[in-house]
Amino acid sequence: MMLLESVSTMDFIGTKLADFLTYTGFANVEWANIIMIAVGAFFIWLAIKKDFEPLLLIPIGLGIILGNIPFKAAGLEIGLYEDNSVLNIFYQGVRLGWYPPLVFLGIGAMTDFGALIANPKLMLIGAAAQFGIFGAYMIALAMGFEPNQAAGIAIIGGADGPTAIFLSSKLSPNLMGAIAVCAYSYMALVPVIQPGVMKLLTTKAQRQIKMKPARAVSQTEKMLFPVVGLLITTFIVPSGLPLLGMLFFGNLLKESTKTTRLAKTAGSALNDIVVMLLGLTVGCSTQASEFLTLATVKIFALGAFAFIIATASGVIFVHIMNIFLPKGQKINPLIGNAGVSAVPMAARISQNEGLKADPHNFLLMHAMGPNVAGVIGSAVAAGVLLGFLS
Amino acid sequence: MKKILSILSSLAVAVTMNAQGAHDFKINEVHVHSSECCDSSSCSQAGYVDEYGQPASWIEIENTSYSTHDIRNCYLSINPAVLDENMPAPEREKLMSAIPAGDPRTSIGAKQRITFFADGNTNRGTLHLNFQLPVGKPFTIYLFDGNAVDLLDSVRVEVLPAGSSYSRLGGGEWQVCEADKVTPNAPNVAYYNDKIKEFKEKDPHGIAMTLMCMGVVFSCLILLFVFFHIFGWAMNRAAKLARVRAIRAIHEQAERVVEMAKQGTTETKGIDMETYAAVIGLALHEYFGGTHDLESGILTINQKQTTWADKSHELRVLPQHHQAN
Repeated sequence: MMLLESVSTMDFIGTKLADFLTYTGFANVEWANIIMIAVGAFFIWLAIKKDFEPLLLIPIGLGIILGNIPFKAAGLEIGLYEDNSVLNIFYQGVRLGWYPPLVFLGIGAMTDFGALIANPKLMLIGAAAQFGIFGAYMIALAMGFEPNQAAGIAIIGGADGPTAIFLSSKLSPNLMGAIAVCAYSYMALVPVIQPGVMKLLTTKAQRQIKMKPARAVSQTEKMLFPVVGLLITTFIVPSGLPLLGMLFFGNLLKESTKTTRLAKTAGSALNDIVVMLLGLTVGCSTQASEFLTLATVKIFALGAFAFIIATASGVIFVHIMNIFLPKGQKINPLIGNAGVSAVPMAARISQNEGLKADPHNFLLMHAMGPNVAGVIGSAVAAGVLLGFLS
Repeated sequence: MKKILSILSSLAVAVTMNAQGAHDFKINEVHVHSSECCDSSSCSQAGYVDEYGQPASWIEIENTSYSTHDIRNCYLSINPAVLDENMPAPEREKLMSAIPAGDPRTSIGAKQRITFFADGNTNRGTLHLNFQLPVGKPFTIYLFDGNAVDLLDSVRVEVLPAGSSYSRLGGGEWQVCEADKVTPNAPNVAYYNDKIKEFKEKDPHGIAMTLMCMGVVFSCLILLFVFFHIFGWAMNRAAKLARVRAIRAIHEQAERVVEMAKQGTTETKGIDMETYAAVIGLALHEYFGGTHDLESGILTINQKQTTWADKSHELRVLPQHHQAN
């Protein structure tokens, strides 16, 4: 009797263990999962070893691994795409597009628009660099993407991760994972992509142009900028309201001098929390079945084109501006790349390239002008695309 | 006072919000059911039936906003007498069919629709109205707000062909839809004016999109540029003027004080002693230190050859006479 009982217990344990094994990652793994986990690990390596955008690539990298852990679909509410799972709840911020405006709030609270106010003509460089978006849009259409998908992909050229996520979540949600990862990857690779284009389009003499120091900007001007900026941009492009509204709100918190505490929170704790959740869930959304497709390869190719076109158009536009500017007020074309809005990396590239051409030429503050104008420009571009296509 | 103001403003906001919600309701499609309709071959498409499986005339209302609103307590009517402005609201209510509260179906999501059956059988449920749509003659449908006073929308419906419906288009115009295009509880067929499709057909290379979008982006940033260029100039000018005015005032005071000092008078001529002393100090400071006007902010270091670090300064004169000795 005892023996029979122990045999049935062993059977029971065996059955349950076998059943348990069917739930493990080992039983459900596919090659695609392994590849994506390797991609995630590569992102983490890039962030830690090469110091490429660690604040973004570490959450995204781990998110990619997390999203590609294989499991049996048994209604356990654990996967990103399963209703009511914790990850799914976090993912709503991406899907419904409320993380990007919160990130913009933080960007606004951290950004000093002083360089732009001091030399407002630099705003035009930020506008010109947005041609990267539309150049990529045209190429994407030629490659067979639908206009809404093409717009979602092309916004990568704005070099603005939150904007790319915001627009793609609205226009082409099925491509959002690939677009977001692509946008952030290329933002991390700005130091690799931009210098070559900048050198190709400038002569040594042009790279050595020294710009006049910017004038001092009063606090009144700084306080007025977010209000006027908000009114002008959102009256023209109301569809950019979520991004532009939060950007200028964050900046007003900073510049009003009366809400320093709020500005500090928006620019630090709140921004950090949102970036963590955003990065993690965007990474998670790249499940192998959705991500490892030909469309992703095309998106990555288009993203590279978009960055190159944006950089080139910024630099070329400075050349055009210089034709009309009097001697002594010429702009160093090396700040043209900063119009792509990858703040502040693109401005740092201008500075580094400027120093290579002339060790006494400091372009950082000048480059910050088009850089922050690029943030406004890309948000406006996203708003226009959303208005036309949604 | 502040509390009263804040309460009043909250009330104003709340009232406005309600009104905004109701004004988003639009009559979207109307279908008049007739026996002819069921006889025709198009009956299967046009014969939208109620919960009891009965075909009936219907009025579709759309929430045109992007947020959920409840249509409960609003009124529908086809009686033109309700337009009489002098008629008291309670009287007007009697001529209209009220949409009952308490049914979750009256809460209409963003860009969603609700269809009411105009069959005169209110005992059949929330979605049934107390009037029927007349067959073979024109009529007007009125949609009133919950106060039975504010007209939210109205539409004149001419005699419709059997099985067809009268539908609102995207631009607010109306058209008669044939039986195969009747869409109760769904977007009107004419609505399928897909923007994406339009761009795909008319702008296959994206050139128009690029020109339009770049134009808008440039417009925004050019406007910002113009504003801050002018504002920056004005601020600079104002700051300069303020500084010049301050310097001029100092000079005037200093001149007066110097004049008084020259005269050797101890009278302060209207200036109190403390100011007098301060101005003398300031005047002397300005006089000896040189009044600073506008600073460029540029620090220029001109190299000047001096002999301060000359090696010859480090050498002592050789005691030649000692050698001579």
